[in-house]
Amino acid sequence: MSARDDLAASGAALLEEGQGGFRVTPPSIASLARAVAVARAHGLPLRVRGSGDAPGLPPDRGVLFDLAALDRIASVDPGTGISRVEAGCGVAALESAVRRAGCTLGPLLPSVRSGSVGAWLAGPTRGERGVAGLRRQTAALTVAAVLADGRIAEGRPAPAKAVGPDLDHLTLGGAGRLSIVAAAWIRLFPATPQLCSAFFCPSLADALGAVEMLCRRRLAPVRARIQAGPEGARLALAWEGIESAAIDRDRSERALAGRFPREEVPPKWVREGPDGHPVEVDARWGALRAWSGRGDLHLIGLHPGGAFAVLCLPEARAAEECAALARAAGAKVIAPRRMRDSGPGWEAAGAGAAWSRLIDALGVS
Amino acid sequence: MRREIAALGIAASCESADLSAASRDASPAALFWNQARLVHHPPDVVAWPEDAEQVAALLQLAGARGVPVVPMGAGAGTGGGAVALRGGIVLDTRRLTLPLRVDLPGNAVEVGAGMSAERLEERLAYAGATLGHLMPPNDPGTVGGWLATRGAGMLSSRHGSSADLVLSLEAVDGAGEILHTLEGAGGGPDLAQLLLGSEGTLAVFTSARLRIWPRGRGRWLRAVRFPSLREALRAVRDVVRAGLQPSVVLIHDPLDSLLGGAEPPRVPQPLKWLVEGAQVEAMRLALHAPRLLNRLVDALPSSSLALLGFEGVDEADAFREGEAALSLCARAQGEDLGTATAARCLESARRASWTHGPLLAAGGFVETLDVATTWDRAEPLLAAVRGAVEGLAFVRAHFAHAAAEGCALELKMLGLAGAPAEAMTRVPAEDAEAEMEEAQQRREAVWGAALAAAADEGATISHHSGIGASRQVFLRRELGEGIRQLRALKKAFDPKGILNPGKVLL
Repeated sequence: MSARDDLAASGAALLEEGQGGFRVTPPSIASLARAVAVARAHGLPLRVRGSGDAPGLPPDRGVLFDLAALDRIASVDPGTGISRVEAGCGVAALESAVRRAGCTLGPLLPSVRSGSVGAWLAGPTRGERGVAGLRRQTAALTVAAVLADGRIAEGRPAPAKAVGPDLDHLTLGGAGRLSIVAAAWIRLFPATPQLCSAFFCPSLADALGAVEMLCRRRLAPVRARIQAGPEGARLALAWEGIESAAIDRDRSERALAGRFPREEVPPKWVREGPDGHPVEVDARWGALRAWSGRGDLHLIGLHPGGAFAVLCLPEARAAEECAALARAAGAKVIAPRRMRDSGPGWEAAGAGAAWSRLIDALGVS
Repeated sequence: MRREIAALGIAASCESADLSAASRDASPAALFWNQARLVHHPPDVVAWPEDAEQVAALLQLAGARGVPVVPMGAGAGTGGGAVALRGGIVLDTRRLTLPLRVDLPGNAVEVGAGMSAERLEERLAYAGATLGHLMPPNDPGTVGGWLATRGAGMLSSRHGSSADLVLSLEAVDGAGEILHTLEGAGGGPDLAQLLLGSEGTLAVFTSARLRIWPRGRGRWLRAVRFPSLREALRAVRDVVRAGLQPSVVLIHDPLDSLLGGAEPPRVPQPLKWLVEGAQVEAMRLALHAPRLLNRLVDALPSSSLALLGFEGVDEADAFREGEAALSLCARAQGEDLGTATAARCLESARRASWTHGPLLAAGGFVETLDVATTWDRAEPLLAAVRGAVEGLAFVRAHFAHAAAEGCALELKMLGLAGAPAEAMTRVPAEDAEAEMEEAQQRREAVWGAALAAAADEGATISHHSGIGASRQVFLRRELGEGIRQLRALKKAFDPKGILNPGKVLL
């Protein structure tokens, strides 16, 4: 049978597009698994829309898996703080659903919020968020992944595991290359009002230094916003947590008292979305200090080592310059997509040969 | 082989004392063999490389000769992960103690994989910092050992497991390539997370850069009594989901609640023999009737005692978090029993390990198990595991390592293995060996029943002890089709299959 017939037999909707390629829209995880096995068996190049990769067309004589129909939210458990969701579900739709249950996914980058759960987990952020000022942690408690031969590997949801290597990390951040995210167990936070505090700092560097200092003392806010001007920098911070928000805000205010005068800003100011032409980066503190010389800076996913940052620039051309500066300082550009960095791969770690062997062993070469 | 290793400038030995010392870890099976003075799995040679280059040279040599290499730290593991099942080279990592660089401004320490937990924490305390990965007193574990098993310290509710502490790793894979994982925003899958927990089957860790924190001076500790285990679990879940970060979380079963909560505790006699230690015959008598012992526990008052501890920069910080936690506990009918009761509970838990010596001497065994699940499944998990082994062993249990989504269930299963140790020393070696084999089968029956029940309940079969040799039978059930991914990783990082063969299903 031809690849077309085999793909059609998988139960997925099929559309011929591009240069002899197929857009395959599986209605279920089982159908996705069957279609992946067919595509691999016929040696067709694969691309996944909704699993870390978002091109519009299939590759030449290849298959584009569109996960748009895999958008079910199987469960939202506010007591345990876990939601089971399919990869094609939009992050914004999931946030709406979990909000109704009194939970939240926490602050996310605009590019993450506008994409799917699969794209979030398999994309450059690996689904990571800041957790209570302690560390960065992927939102996926575990994932169900479709392997090259169409089998489905799914881990057990548990708060921590010591059962060998964490195999979820073959899928997280992998852009669908090694395996395809089909579904995930997502960690949820209780939705609580944000408590805010604002200060006026002599310079942008002082404001960044203050945020870094709080993160290193386990007081990381869930978001921070810095607006730099010729007179100095306005710094606003927000904390979440049923009990911890008030405690951490008070401790932070004590830590910054005497160093910077307090500012009165509306609480919503720190939550306002970026305007203009935002550039999203994953950066360490050193990189942030090196490049953020202008514009409005939003920080989320803060941890002792750095943060995800959104720099809002008034002009599109400035975004290009900004991205170049960020890269020079060692940051990784996440969005806009046309500027996205792949980041240093395993070759930079001396594991280039292991990567090649892994590709072969997984049957995804 | 020893001469070839020595020619690389690496210390090596084939002395029987060295081979014997490198033949066992701290697993119950190894302790049993040790008691019977048997060397069950001696390696052919022990090597002590001192840096990553020497480790790489050693692995290249072993790869060329097709000789197995088993990395071993302090031998503190409890799953047989560092036992050389197929002989070969034991690569003792304890000379890999460098570098040791404390970066206080960067909240990090760079440390050799062979550094012991105790010495590292002492060094950090001197600098006013802590790793937060606090091990039980006298635990000789090494940094490499924690990382290889994804170990979790006693304060993991606040600080996370060892995998959460890692900023970057240096390791040598089975092909002898030195790998340096990247700190921060790398591209593609996270290499460090794929190597952590591999128990020496994919790579040998040589050093790591780990997150450290300023050392707090404030401490807050309380015991809270709840009407039942269900309320205790719900309250602790609410505490961690409220964003509070307790350093100590222990939720006791009714027996330990009774032992810790009353002064003096009113415990039925056969249970007392076991929990406080008694004459050999008394302990053996009790162990002959595990079902009765478990029924006696069922008949105890059902209240559950939870210990909660907080740390802070100063007393006020710790106090504020602690008081917030107490108010959440009060909503679940938790009664504050104060600090003294909490201290007594901790002391009682410490005493529990002292009775292991007399128990083993009496021909008993103590099998420990740490499984984990989500909050909604925690209580059914305990019921299922207890139900599976109640006729085979006496079960003591507590919940610990609380996280936002769930917690670990730690079990001690006490049973009768065979003749008293003293009697074993008087029988011929071959009889002792046969007796030990039978004892091991009895222990494995308990172990297997408990793990099967945990796996059936959807729990993960190891929270922080790793898989090693003893749990791998159940790993297939846990991983399902993921076993293919695991084997692909083995081919990628250890193409010649020399690293720690026979462990983690690899």
